[in-house]
Amino acid sequence: MGYKIGLDLGSTAIKMVLVKNNEITWSRKVPTAPGQEALAMELVKGAVNECGLSEVDIDHIAATGYGKKLMSSAGHTVDEISANAQGLHWLSEGRCRTIINIGGQDLKVINLNEKGLIADFKMNDKCAAGTGRFFEQAARILDTPLEKFGEMSKLADEPLELNSTCVVFAESEIVSLLAKGVPKERIIKGLHHSVARRITHLLGSRNTPKGGDIYLDGGPSQNPGLLEALEDELLMEVKVLPNPQFTVAFGATLSAN
Amino acid sequence: MSNNQDDREGRLKKKILDRFDDETSQEIKILKSRPDFRPELEYFVDLLAGGRDPATISARTGRPVVALMCLQAPLELFHVYGLQPFKIFGGTMVAQRLSAPQLPAIMCPMLRSALGELHLDLAGSKGQKFLAWVTPTTCDWVVKIQDMMEVCGITEKPPFHRLELPHLKDRTESQDRWLEEVYLLRGFLSQITGKKKIRRQDLARSMNIYQKSWHVFSNLIDLKRTGRVPEIWFMVISNSFFFDDAEKWTESVKKALPVFNKREKALPDIFLAGSPIFFPNLKMLHLLEEAGLNVVMDDLCSSERIFPGAVYFDDFSEHGLLKALAQRYHQGCLCPTFSDNDRRINNIIAPAHKDLYKGVVFHVLKGCHPFDLESLTLECRLKDMGLKFIKLETDYTSEDSQTLLTRLEAYRNTLAN
Ligand code: SF4
Repeated sequence: MGYKIGLDLGSTAIKMVLVKNNEITWSRKVPTAPGQEALAMELVKGAVNECGLSEVDIDHIAATGYGKKLMSSAGHTVDEISANAQGLHWLSEGRCRTIINIGGQDLKVINLNEKGLIADFKMNDKCAAGTGRFFEQAARILDTPLEKFGEMSKLADEPLELNSTCVVFAESEIVSLLAKGVPKERIIKGLHHSVARRITHLLGSRNTPKGGDIYLDGGPSQNPGLLEALEDELLMEVKVLPNPQFTVAFGATLSAN
Repeated sequence: MSNNQDDREGRLKKKILDRFDDETSQEIKILKSRPDFRPELEYFVDLLAGGRDPATISARTGRPVVALMCLQAPLELFHVYGLQPFKIFGGTMVAQRLSAPQLPAIMCPMLRSALGELHLDLAGSKGQKFLAWVTPTTCDWVVKIQDMMEVCGITEKPPFHRLELPHLKDRTESQDRWLEEVYLLRGFLSQITGKKKIRRQDLARSMNIYQKSWHVFSNLIDLKRTGRVPEIWFMVISNSFFFDDAEKWTESVKKALPVFNKREKALPDIFLAGSPIFFPNLKMLHLLEEAGLNVVMDDLCSSERIFPGAVYFDDFSEHGLLKALAQRYHQGCLCPTFSDNDRRINNIIAPAHKDLYKGVVFHVLKGCHPFDLESLTLECRLKDMGLKFIKLETDYTSEDSQTLLTRLEAYRNTLAN
C-alpha cells in the first residue's frame, strides 16, 4: 500500500517511476512505440513483480507527456510542464528557479517562483533543433554513439562554429565538415555549443533567473559536453540531478496530491 | 500551358476541392454535434456551410458582391450603393496547397489559404464573379495581394480599388487624408454601379442598419464577458456576418441571445488577442476549450472587431455622414498596422485592472508580422503588471496541436498561481 506510479509518455521514450512517500523506489524507460498503453502497463507489471508488490499496493497512477490521454488506467493526467515544475521543485528541495528540459522533440524553459509554481515558460516551435531527436540524428551521421559525445567533446580544444541547428541543414553541414576532414571531436563540441546558444536564446535576457538555481533535465542532460557548453554560454552554473529523465514522471505523482 | 500540365492542374484542383469540402463539412459536423448546439445557431452554421462564392452570396442577399480584403472600408457605403461587401478570408488548411508553391515560404497563412481558395475558382465556380475588389492598404501582405493573385495565376480581373490607409491615426492630416479616401471609394462605387448620386436619407438608413447590427452584436459581447458565450460560437456568428444581408443576420443574433443567456458562467477567463481566426480553421478555439480555458474577451478582427463601434453624427448632410463614417473606421480600428496605436494595447490592458480576465493568450499566425511585433510590447506591459501572457505561434496545419495543447494546459495551471 502507499505506492504511486508516475508515467511520462514522451515522444521518444516512456518513463516510469514507482514512488513511496515521495521517494523514487524504482524507475525504468522503454522506447516509445505503437501501443503505448500496453507498453506502459508492461512497465507497471515489471515494477510490481521486481519489487515484490501486488497490484493492490498501487494507490494511484498518474500520467503525463504527449501520450497521457492514451492511458485509460491513469487516475489522473497532468501536462508535462506542470509535472516537470513540481518534480524539480521537490527534488531540488526548493532551490530550482529555472528548468531547461530537453525532450525527444521539444525544448522547454520553465521559470518557477519561490513556491515552486510556474511563473513563466517557453517552448520551441515545431522544429526539432536542439532536442533529443537532433542529437540522435547527429550521432547517426557521425557514426558515434550518443553516450560518447560528452567525453569526445572534452578532447577538442575549440568548438567549431556550426551555422545550423536545423536538423536538415545540420546534417548536410556535418557531412561536408567530415568530408573536409574536420575531427569529429570538434564537430561534437560545436554541436553542443550551437544547441546551448539556442537554449540561451530561448531563455532570453528577460527570463534569465534572478536568484535560485538552474537545472537541466530530460535525456540529453546526461551529456556532460552539453552541460559544459551550456554553462559556457550562460555564464552560470547549471545543475543536473541524478536520473534527470525521470523528473517529469515523478512530478506527475506529486500532482496527484 | 501544355495539355498535360492542364490535366495535372485540373486533377490537383479536383483533389483539393474534394478535401476542401471534407474540411468544411467535418467542422460543420463538429459544430452541430456539440452539446451546446441549439436550433437558433443553425442559421449561422448553415451560412458558413453554404459556400462563399459570389453567386451564392448574391442570390442570398439580392445584391452584387464586392470582395473586401480588410474591414477598414466603411461597409455602409457598399450597402447604400446596393452592394454586398464580402470580406475575403481563407480558413481552409488544404487550399494553401494550390497557392503555396508560388508564394513565399513564410507568409500570412490566412491569405495563402484565401489565394488558394480563389485559385480553386470558388469565386467563379457558379458563373458569377465579384463585381469588384476593394483593398485597404493595411499590412504588407494585403498591400501586395493583387501581385500575389497574379503570381498565383488567378485570372479574374474585375475592377480593383485601393484605399490608402494613413497609418497614423492621431494626426489631423491623416484623418483628412482618410476622409479623401472615403470620398474616392464613394466615387469608385458610383462608377461600378452607375449610380451617380446617393440620397443622404439612404446613407443614413444604411448607417442605421449597421448600427443595429453593432448594437445587437455588442449585447452578445456583453454576454460573452460573463463567460456565457463559448468563443467557438462567437466566432461562428461573427465569421458569418458577411454571408448574408446585415438585417437578417442581426435578427438571427437577436434570436440567439437568449440561448446564451441561459448558460452558466465558466472559469477561468482569458483575453484572446492576435491574428484572426476563420472558419473552418477553428483549431485554436478547440484547443483552448480542451485546455479548459474560457475566452471572455478578444480583439480579433474576425471576431469582436468586425464592427468599429458606434458611429456618432450631428451633421446630417452627406458630407457630415461620410465624415462620421470615416472617423469611426479610422479612429475606432484597433488594427496593429497603425503606428500610433497605444489605444490598442491599452484596450487589452485596461480590463485587467478591473480583474475582468486572468491572462492573455496571444495567437500569432506564422508570417503575420504586425501582430507578432506587437506581442513583444504587450508581453512586457502585462508581465510588468504581474499578469500571465502566452504567445502561441501557429500555422494552418494540425501537426502542432499537441504541443499547443501542452502549453495551454500548463498556462491554465499558471493562472491560479
Ligand atoms: S494582419 Fe496578419 S492576419 Fe491580417 S492579413 Fe496581415 S498578416 Fe494576415
